[in-house]
Amino acid sequence: MIDFLQINPGVWLILSGIICALIPNSFLTQLTRKCLVTGAPIFTAFMITQIFTSDIVVGGKISIAGIDLTTLRIDSLSMVWGYLFCLIGVLNGIFGLHEKCRITDSSALIYSGAAIAGVLSGDLLTLFLFWELTAISSVFLVWRGGEHAYAAGVRYLALHVLSGVILLIGAIIHANYNGGSYAFDHIGLQNLGGWLILLAIGIKCGFPFLHMWMQDAYPKASVTGTVILSAFTTKMAIYTLARGYVGTEILIYIGAVMTCFPVFFALVENDLRRVLSFSLNNQLGFMVCGIGIGTELAINGVVGQVFVHVIFKSLLFMSIGAVIYRVGTSKASELGGLFRSMPITALFCLIGAGSIAAFPLLAAFVTKAMIISSVIYEAHHNSALYVIAAMLLFASAGVMEHSGIKVPYFTFFSHDSGRRVKEAPWNMLVAMGLAASLCIFLAFPWGGYQMLYDLLPYEADYKPYTVDHVVFQLQLLFAAITAFCILKKSGLYPAEKRSEILDFDWFYRKCGLYIVKSINHTWNALDTRLSNATRNTYNTINKSLYGIFSPIGGFSKTAPSGLAAVMTAAMLILVLILVYFVR
Amino acid sequence: MSFMPLFPQWIFEQGPAFLIVLPLLMGAIIAILPNRSMAWWFTFFVTLICTYTAFGLFQHIYFDSFLLYTMGGWAPPHGISLIVDGLSAPILLLISVMAMLTVIYALPASISEIEPKKRGPFYAAFLICFAGLMGMVITGDAFNVFVFLEVSSISTYALVAMGAARDRRSLAAAYNYLIMGSIGATFFVIGLGFLFMETGTLNMAEMSAILSDLDGGTRVSKVGYGFIVVGLGLKIAMFPLHTWLPRAYAYAPTKITIFLASTATKAAIYLLLRFTFTVFDPSFDYISIMLKYLIVGAAVVGMVFASFQAIFQSDVRRVLAYSSVAQVGYILLGIGIATSSGLAAGYLHLLNHAIIKGCLFISVGAFWYRFGITRVDDFSGLFKTMPLTMGAFTLGGLSLIGVPFTAGFVSKVKLILAAAEQEMWWAVLVIVFSSVLAIVYIGRIIMAAYFGSPPKINGSTFTKNEAPFMMLFPMWALGLMSIAIGLNAFGIGDTFVSASEIAASVLLGGRG
Amino acid sequence: MSSIRKPGQPGKAMDKQEGIHPFAIPFLWLGNKKVIDRFIWIPFFGLILTILIGLLYPQKHPAPWDVVPGSWALIGFVSYSLIVLCAKPLTFLLARPENYYGEGGLLDPEFSVENVEDEND
Repeated sequence: MIDFLQINPGVWLILSGIICALIPNSFLTQLTRKCLVTGAPIFTAFMITQIFTSDIVVGGKISIAGIDLTTLRIDSLSMVWGYLFCLIGVLNGIFGLHEKCRITDSSALIYSGAAIAGVLSGDLLTLFLFWELTAISSVFLVWRGGEHAYAAGVRYLALHVLSGVILLIGAIIHANYNGGSYAFDHIGLQNLGGWLILLAIGIKCGFPFLHMWMQDAYPKASVTGTVILSAFTTKMAIYTLARGYVGTEILIYIGAVMTCFPVFFALVENDLRRVLSFSLNNQLGFMVCGIGIGTELAINGVVGQVFVHVIFKSLLFMSIGAVIYRVGTSKASELGGLFRSMPITALFCLIGAGSIAAFPLLAAFVTKAMIISSVIYEAHHNSALYVIAAMLLFASAGVMEHSGIKVPYFTFFSHDSGRRVKEAPWNMLVAMGLAASLCIFLAFPWGGYQMLYDLLPYEADYKPYTVDHVVFQLQLLFAAITAFCILKKSGLYPAEKRSEILDFDWFYRKCGLYIVKSINHTWNALDTRLSNATRNTYNTINKSLYGIFSPIGGFSKTAPSGLAAVMTAAMLILVLILVYFVR
Repeated sequence: MSFMPLFPQWIFEQGPAFLIVLPLLMGAIIAILPNRSMAWWFTFFVTLICTYTAFGLFQHIYFDSFLLYTMGGWAPPHGISLIVDGLSAPILLLISVMAMLTVIYALPASISEIEPKKRGPFYAAFLICFAGLMGMVITGDAFNVFVFLEVSSISTYALVAMGAARDRRSLAAAYNYLIMGSIGATFFVIGLGFLFMETGTLNMAEMSAILSDLDGGTRVSKVGYGFIVVGLGLKIAMFPLHTWLPRAYAYAPTKITIFLASTATKAAIYLLLRFTFTVFDPSFDYISIMLKYLIVGAAVVGMVFASFQAIFQSDVRRVLAYSSVAQVGYILLGIGIATSSGLAAGYLHLLNHAIIKGCLFISVGAFWYRFGITRVDDFSGLFKTMPLTMGAFTLGGLSLIGVPFTAGFVSKVKLILAAAEQEMWWAVLVIVFSSVLAIVYIGRIIMAAYFGSPPKINGSTFTKNEAPFMMLFPMWALGLMSIAIGLNAFGIGDTFVSASEIAASVLLGGRG
Repeated sequence: MSSIRKPGQPGKAMDKQEGIHPFAIPFLWLGNKKVIDRFIWIPFFGLILTILIGLLYPQKHPAPWDVVPGSWALIGFVSYSLIVLCAKPLTFLLARPENYYGEGGLLDPEFSVENVEDEND
């Protein structure tokens, strides 16, 4: 009998995804599918509660070709991700209830299942397997965005599969250094394997210069697709970082840069889903930085940040998704004044924006404060970290700019675009409402944030709601809003323009393409020349061979007997010379 | 599998003389026979009996030992001796089989090629030529070699000239052949003269013994060897001396081409082997130098040059003629390598090539017989009009190229192995390269026949017009034989290989 | 355009008053120009207030910059202005036409507004 508690719970989601893909299309099965989409994550969460009975549960041990695999490992760290992914799976399922699409449903289930299974896996090879599965299953969500998303999807797939391959190579090298053990514990940067695995994770969670796929693919996916995509891939990568690279110093700097640079791109970007993708990247920067700090407070902050981040980021993507669903575009330049027709969505969007900007009483306040505090605490011992702290503060102001102000302002307020549309469908409103109430609940000073803190891997005695925290955070936010108002009034705030903003992906989308094209071009020209030359040479050779050997050629001319006789004589002389003189 | 019980004892006792005397005598009788169809029957039976005899002798050699036959009971060195050993027996069998198949083919072919009143003399000349070739191979007397050489040559000139009924150019070709052949024969006899001067005997065994006593002899014997090599080189169509061959092959009556291509040069090669390895000895340094430089050089250059020439010919018979020159190169290369494996490979290729070329020339003759075509361009669509004939041609062509599971493959691989054994990698390269060229010149013909469409005559496509059975039989017999060698069906391949190995051991080991 | 509007398609030619959601009616003053013009006073007063409170309750773990009163307000204001002022040069440097990559930053034509407008024209 199979012990169901030995099976990685993510597998259930993957199975239900496969069932979704296989059941034939009709109204009833539509219903079944939707039940699966919302029900399977709940079942998975239930399975996790059944399995997670002690501090650390290890199971599902398989031995393949002499390699011991631990396919299931739930401890205080991975448990958070497991529940989180189940929760967001349910929310996404509700958000997508209106969509009658077999591909979205099944790939969403497989994708989220793979992410959960990856997070709950206890060795690098299992992780690799699900790592690749997330890439392959999620690319369909990108492709659902329509024809213009095809190329982006291919790029997305290519980068992610590459990331998986690098992970595998890194894992093998790492295992070689560790006596053949593929166990997924602290990895560090002691050997090349560690560096390669870090590179693979870097691709997945958007390290600077490896981030482009995110802003490339996410905005082009389908409405529900973007919401689903934004939740899992990057957070799975954050988990692997938190598992394998805690306290790795280089992550502090990478994270700090990651928080700052998307701010500028998000500012000039017109497509609000891209703005949110940059914002996502920036939020990931906070987490990476916290992992680099590596203190208990920092890790708690990171885990908490991941938890609330997934919720409010989904909320923001959902609200923009609802706008796209009703209006058909997410271009800031074409939106505005939508609070008149979509007031509920606008409210939820504002809650999400306030959460991400870390307003007190809203989600991120209780977690981001931990990360920044942990940096400042560490900076007491290492004053260089004050620079990092300043960068994080700068980035916080940036978050306020692009997510806190820009997204809701240009969508729902700003000048009236004259669009009058219906409010979002009920299922979207339900999903957004749930997410919004979670945003408020998880930051609720009296009993709310304590529950969040209880989930965290370490004992959290941090108090976010002290006067100085609240006041100084409010200083930052009010100052930012004031600055916004002043700049807007004085006309210095840039008007939104429709444009494509160049990013690092220019190097492969344009430069690389150009190089490939020019190489191709040169090659073609060379090839033509070469084949011409070859043909000419061939013709010349052919002609001269023909001239020599053909019946009209000199060699085959009807040689007169005299000539042949002379030839014979010459031959005889040669022979005689040979036998006579060569000794 | 022994066929010995099939043969009466007298064959082993009198067979060697019988092989020469019967065709000579019958040749004379046929020449004066009044009835023309009788001439064919007589010729056929003579070749049949000779084949039977040769097969018996071959069996005897294969299972027993070598035969020395003394004419009139006079023992050598005073009498004339005939030798049947591992070297000559396969060639005797080859010549008689080819003669028999040619005669079968000749029945329909001569109707279109030879004027009725010349058919009697034609068969007579054919038998005399046959007798000459058999004599060249079987005799143990050096001067008799010359005599039989001239007997076969002179009748060949006449036979080639008989192509005049079909193509007047055959007269010029015959004349050219006459001149060159005579020069060759003269050189040969001059060389024999030198040898006689040196040794004082004409019996080959005697000569060999005396020469080895003299440790190769003086310059007289060296010069003698030089003349013999050049003279035989002409007959063999060794590369620079091959100029007579393409035209003789192209313009002779088709059956003569078949017979010449598969036997005349082979008999001459046999003589070269016989003189180089048994009369002289490869351990003489001038012989080894000749083998190493002249024979191998001529072989390699000939393989490449003649192959190129074959590619650019427009007449299929000339393509095959040049191909013969190239194939002679392979054989000579095997001889020039002069190890037992090299000699065996060369000897095997000699037998295989005779079979392959016989098959190819018979099918080309059939094409000529049906449509009067010999040009490559005219082969278009032949696979649709004459599928069986073209099938045999394809078999022969593939075998000539050396496609696996054909006779050509077996001997070429053996040759490559022999060259590789001596680390003559360049020779391996040349063999492969020449085989590629063979793909081109054979492929050209086969492609035209397969992919071309048959010509339209008065608006309607030509339908099937297969060759008569008397032509199909010999060509398929030879084509299937080449496949049987390649596949080693019924042990035929092994028989050929072991025959060639026995021949090589005769050449290198046991005297005589 | 006679085609049936899909749920996701924009409804544009609706009457201004008609399309307004009932929940939004009490909040329509948010679109009032005066309100927008005077909105700045809310964050401004909030800013002053928090700076004053910040003087009374200083940071428990001060960073070097926390010696300045209202330090986070300063950081927020300066950072924000700096970021926004970067927009012009960044746009100049990085902005390209939308079809720059040839595959378009455009949305699916089925959804795209600009496409619908073109058809209506």
